[in-house]
Amino acid sequence: MSAVRAPAAEPPVQAAPAPSKPPKPFDRPRFLPIFTGAFFVFMFAPIVIVALFSFNSSKSLQRFEGFSLEWYRRFFEDESLRESLVASIQIATVTMLAATALGTMLAFALVRARSRWAGSANILMLVPLVTPEIVAAVSALVLFTQIGWQLSLETVMVAHITFSISYVTVVVRARLAALNPEVEQAALDLGATRWGTLRLVTLPELWPAIVAAALLTFALSFDDFVLSFFTTGESPQPLPVRIYSAIRFGVTPTINAIGTMMLTVSALLILLAIMLPRLLGRRESGLGVLVGRETA
Amino acid sequence: MSEQRFATTLLLPGGLWLLLLFAVPLGLVLAASLGSTDDLGNTVYGWHPENYRQAFDPLFLPVLLRSVGFAFATVALCLLIGYPVAYYIARYGGRWKHMLIALVVLPFFVNYLVRTYAWVALLADEGLVNGAITNLGIRDTGITFLNTSFAVVGGLVYGYLAFMILPIYAAIDRMDQALVEAGKDLYGTPWNTFRHVTWPATFQGVLAGCVLVFLPSVGDFISAQLLGGPSTYMIGNLIQQQFLGADNWPFGAALTAILMAFLSIWMVLYLRSAARASREAAL
Repeated sequence: MSAVRAPAAEPPVQAAPAPSKPPKPFDRPRFLPIFTGAFFVFMFAPIVIVALFSFNSSKSLQRFEGFSLEWYRRFFEDESLRESLVASIQIATVTMLAATALGTMLAFALVRARSRWAGSANILMLVPLVTPEIVAAVSALVLFTQIGWQLSLETVMVAHITFSISYVTVVVRARLAALNPEVEQAALDLGATRWGTLRLVTLPELWPAIVAAALLTFALSFDDFVLSFFTTGESPQPLPVRIYSAIRFGVTPTINAIGTMMLTVSALLILLAIMLPRLLGRRESGLGVLVGRETA
Repeated sequence: MSEQRFATTLLLPGGLWLLLLFAVPLGLVLAASLGSTDDLGNTVYGWHPENYRQAFDPLFLPVLLRSVGFAFATVALCLLIGYPVAYYIARYGGRWKHMLIALVVLPFFVNYLVRTYAWVALLADEGLVNGAITNLGIRDTGITFLNTSFAVVGGLVYGYLAFMILPIYAAIDRMDQALVEAGKDLYGTPWNTFRHVTWPATFQGVLAGCVLVFLPSVGDFISAQLLGGPSTYMIGNLIQQQFLGADNWPFGAALTAILMAFLSIWMVLYLRSAARASREAAL
């Protein structure tokens, strides 16, 4: 993860080769930019089209017949869909708060602790990252049923928190490992307590990573379908579960509208997470903080 | 309080949470996979290994094999698409590098369900692509895209491509550019330089990307559910059916255990390299 973060500090490498030597084909294969361009079209075209057709005045998915907010109006007039939206926001908020607190503590412990327990906890923390969601979802469902916990919004929250802790830990730990422990030692030497040092010295240094992790957790929870699908009660169901049921009845412009709203929320959160360190005047890129999670 | 005791105190809340709500439930699934159902469909714990035998009988074996096949096809396609893109961004992205990688990550944060749905809207019989085909007179009738293996694998590739690109990008970015120069100075052809220098130097990233794509692909059920049909179902669809439809939880749990056992080889490989990386980062 450090390798992904490292380039942020360096000045950008100039792509242009030395002017005296014209580039050989291998220096800059011509198909690469075209290929990369095609790749971006492939990635963004479906999303753009969904967003575009959510403003279509007719029900058609083949022809854009005029601009209208009809499908958004329908969404907000549907009381049960509104309840689902509120439920999703509640779940994401609780998940964000709980997972960020638990994950940050765990990150701190894993960086500082040298005990046997820390090694096992490290494995326990990494496994959820590589576990297919359906396995986690099935386990949660079996657990809730076994202990007789009625499926509801709370069970969805617990499942989301369990799955989100690791993401927070990985993101925060990357930042924590880069800190100089001697600064903490200095605070302790000056008579600060452990908690005081954590609160006054370490946490302020960690804020960008913690906030980025919190935003990421909110986005993941708000978007999550598989865990929610297995652990939700009857009503209200989280928004992605409603989208899934609706899709199975066929493609409708209302789903385009919900999808567009959801992707706007996610995109804003992620952009915020990327921009945040810069807004706070830090030098490191928030993207590195986020990308760290992929290469954990 | 000593530093070690303090660190262990902070370890407890998160560690216990993961232990009780992640590790213990996995054990429960294993226990349930050996159970049977009573007349009401409730799980009764016991010793019934025939759940596992059932998973490999001719009715279900093709589904297991299909899952593995689709996942390997997804990994191969993601590598073919992802490597050149990562290479281009890392080598020639210049000052746009970070911006381009952000663009790779961005669609990944759009709800997977919505992204898959977007392809349904595009490829449906009366969707946009078929509308264009018939309106432009390329063909009189549209093409059936959905319900095919191609659509399901395509959905998986679209869903998990970012997992392939990021580690490869990191590996190419980290690699010393001078190595390629050296290869050229030694009269290596572009292909030989790539094969003997760039590829080995970035192989760890390729491996990480392959594992990160493979794991979620094998367990996926949304792509096969929305873009495919019963003829393209994967193990995830079977598991989902057992738990949320057919109410045969022990069989569903056995399928889940088989999935986990199969994936654990890859997971251990990946976790070991991740643990090594985090140790190196901590030093």
